[in-house]
Amino acid sequence: MKRFILFSLVGIVALASCTKDSATPVTIISGTKTISVPFSSATAFTLFRFSDSTVVANTDSASNKWDFGLRFTTFIVNSYAGGPGSAGAILNNGTFDATPTAPTTGYAYDTTATQRAIKDGSWYDYNGATRTFAPKAGKVFLFKTADGAHYAKMELLSVDYAPFVGMYPTTLLYKFRYAYQANGTTTF
Amino acid sequence: MLQKISFIIFSFIICSNSLVAQMMNQDTLSGKSEDVFITATRSERKFSNLAVSAIVVNKKSIQQTGSLKLQNILQEQTGISIVNSNLATSLAGYPNPFGQGVQMLGLDPAYTAILLDGEPLVGRNAGILKLGRIATGNIQQIEIVKGPSSSLYGSEAMAGVINIITAKPTAQNIDVQLHAATNNTFAQTVSYANRFIKTGVQFFINRYSTGGYDLDKNIYGKTVDPYRDWTMHAKITHDFSAKTQLLLSLRNVDSKQTNDYQITWQFQPAIVKGFTEEKDRSIFAQLRYNRSANSRIYFRTFFNNYSNKSFVNLENQDVRFDETSFNQTILKPEIQFEHSHNSNSKYVAGVGAYFETIDASRYAGKQSVNTIYAFTQNEWNFYQDKLTFITGIRLDKRTDFDLNVSPRIAAAFKPNRFWKITASAGWGFKAPDFRHMYLSFYNAQIGYSLIGCNVLANELQNMQQQGALQAGANINPFLVSKTLMPEKSFGTHIGTKYSKGKINIEAGIFRNDINNLIDVYLLPFKKTNNSNIYSYQNINRIFTQGADVDVKYQLFNSIAISAGYQYLEAKDKDILSQIESGKMYKRDPITYQSSVVKKADYFGINNRSKHTINTKILWTNEAKGWNAFVRFVYRGKFGFTDVNGNNIADDQRELVHGFWMTNIAASKNINQKISLQVGVENLMDYTNAAQLPNISGRIFFVNLNFSFNHFNH
Repeated sequence: MKRFILFSLVGIVALASCTKDSATPVTIISGTKTISVPFSSATAFTLFRFSDSTVVANTDSASNKWDFGLRFTTFIVNSYAGGPGSAGAILNNGTFDATPTAPTTGYAYDTTATQRAIKDGSWYDYNGATRTFAPKAGKVFLFKTADGAHYAKMELLSVDYAPFVGMYPTTLLYKFRYAYQANGTTTF
Repeated sequence: MLQKISFIIFSFIICSNSLVAQMMNQDTLSGKSEDVFITATRSERKFSNLAVSAIVVNKKSIQQTGSLKLQNILQEQTGISIVNSNLATSLAGYPNPFGQGVQMLGLDPAYTAILLDGEPLVGRNAGILKLGRIATGNIQQIEIVKGPSSSLYGSEAMAGVINIITAKPTAQNIDVQLHAATNNTFAQTVSYANRFIKTGVQFFINRYSTGGYDLDKNIYGKTVDPYRDWTMHAKITHDFSAKTQLLLSLRNVDSKQTNDYQITWQFQPAIVKGFTEEKDRSIFAQLRYNRSANSRIYFRTFFNNYSNKSFVNLENQDVRFDETSFNQTILKPEIQFEHSHNSNSKYVAGVGAYFETIDASRYAGKQSVNTIYAFTQNEWNFYQDKLTFITGIRLDKRTDFDLNVSPRIAAAFKPNRFWKITASAGWGFKAPDFRHMYLSFYNAQIGYSLIGCNVLANELQNMQQQGALQAGANINPFLVSKTLMPEKSFGTHIGTKYSKGKINIEAGIFRNDINNLIDVYLLPFKKTNNSNIYSYQNINRIFTQGADVDVKYQLFNSIAISAGYQYLEAKDKDILSQIESGKMYKRDPITYQSSVVKKADYFGINNRSKHTINTKILWTNEAKGWNAFVRFVYRGKFGFTDVNGNNIADDQRELVHGFWMTNIAASKNINQKISLQVGVENLMDYTNAAQLPNISGRIFFVNLNFSFNHFNH
């Protein structure tokens, strides 16, 4: 009897994994990316799209082609004041690996130009002595993408100055890792 | 941990007690001239009778070190570390006038009251009082009380009290000292005392100048710029009658330091030069009236003005680059009453007031606060002083917050001549200072604003009207006036002391819990130039606990050795609970990925060393007039910075390594009037330019003393 239960359990597990494999091929797009962001609050935002991990030209800012944008230390998401899309964000405390799913509700949007989904200053520590922006440890960004139908998680790894000549830097290099679920579910 | 320590100490007490029983017949304390200690009770007591943890450093020990710097003498005491202020490190490279302060029981310098002849030293900048303002030449003794002492001294005495007692006019003498040291350091001191029938006079004058030092030649400017200090102190006593005595004390400190450093001006490096001038003037008058042999009244008035002016001009241009000023005045009248009853009960009580005014360029206008206070303390002695019991309470009412009550109880038990066991518990508090309330400071170099709590609403409204805040910034939550609460602590100390013949051992354990600690917080909006705005609030809860041991042993007639050790844990309770609930994260140094911080990795609050050690060896040859004093001071590793994204010390790379300092002095009395002293401070030439710029490297010095006190009447 015991043996039978064990046997059937194995069968169910095998069956389950089989179904999953056939229904959803690999749909999680993940990796580590470094993007260049202007060190200025006056120039155009650098826009990013998760679905193919691409930096989108700023001429496409009035479209659904991007999910979030960065300028200096300001994040925007593609919704309301940010853009025509439906992108939202949640900044959670936790580790990237210990965040296996994204919620479907509770996202903040770029409601107004001053009320952004991601509050400036909420995710980094500025060190006046070394003049560096260190992303706080244990912050996971969860995104709902511009089409309002997909989810991604992201962790900032570092923010550094690009090599520069002269007195002031011009570009910040944002390095982050992320995972995007292309099938529209919330698991990564 | 604490339980373990207390258990060890307790078993030690029990074991040693049986030993003591066998040695009962020998006397140790009687017959010796004994130090009188004032600070612990605000009235004179025998040092051996104190019920609190205390250290006394007498004139002879100060002279034997040869040091003219108070901080050098303090850092050689068990349980005291000299630390940099947090602000000093955050300014990184930019000159700052704040410097170093005293850390006791693991608390920041702002929590130790530093008194000169019982009266407060004012002019704390960012909580730090420049210890260099106190010349060591006329110090009679330094009294240190460890543990909350607010029950007698009010605000700031949360960690303890350091009371510097200067010489009293006694017999006629003239002392002259000439000092020369590395870094073009020179000092000249003249002191004169005399006693006419009913009048005593004491004059002290000291000039100290140094060329400063440079620890990093690659950075423009010196680490410490050249400065010179003048200290003048006059004391006059007059006995109107056998019952009435007047004491008048006038003090003037005048300090001038060069400023010379590099800045960024119109996108180019530029040099700025100027001066910082400090003036500290005080008048203290005290009338003592002995009502009877066991009852007296003191009438006191203390007035102090401290000013600090600093400026820098762009080199080769007539442009003022920066200018700051700071002016603080305090008037403190006080009446104290003492009464002893059948030598079994001693009573002290007092009432007084503080009128404090501050006018500083970085503060929003001229500000003043007034405090009235009253304290009372009774000491009972039972069974021929074998048991002492003290209760005390102090009330402080400052104009801007509620009545503050600080009680203390203490007990001492002396089962026999060799042993003393003490226990004390007290509440301490620290009122928010002017900086917390009225600061209005914009740092253009680093790019942030820091605004005091009381002026925040006003300043934000101004900023918004001028369009200096980001569009749409919601300042409404900050317009409701929120006053800061005093920081509060509760501390306990249990100690034991054993002294017999050649040996003297003291050991103690302590614990302090502090609530309402004031810290800076970031406002949720910025200025239009993207710079952050900070203000203050009561947020933190911390504790410090540990144990200390101090052993003194007369090895031979000519050699005395001593050693002290302190174990300290100082942790933030909120950070601990975050770690315990798995909500504190750190970033991996290689992958930069976040992970959860383990409890064992949390080192504690920055700037606190778990282990500190001091060892002293004194060799004297009275017959030939020689003495040599060697001291080793160890400061164990401590948290300094953050490298892994969580602002706590939890990684070895965030710590400053432990280090030893070795100081040596030797003196020879050439004849009765002249003595010569040579010495080395920091013999091993330890330096750490980036993390400990206050340590200057090896210093050689020579002191030549002339003492003419033999032409008595």
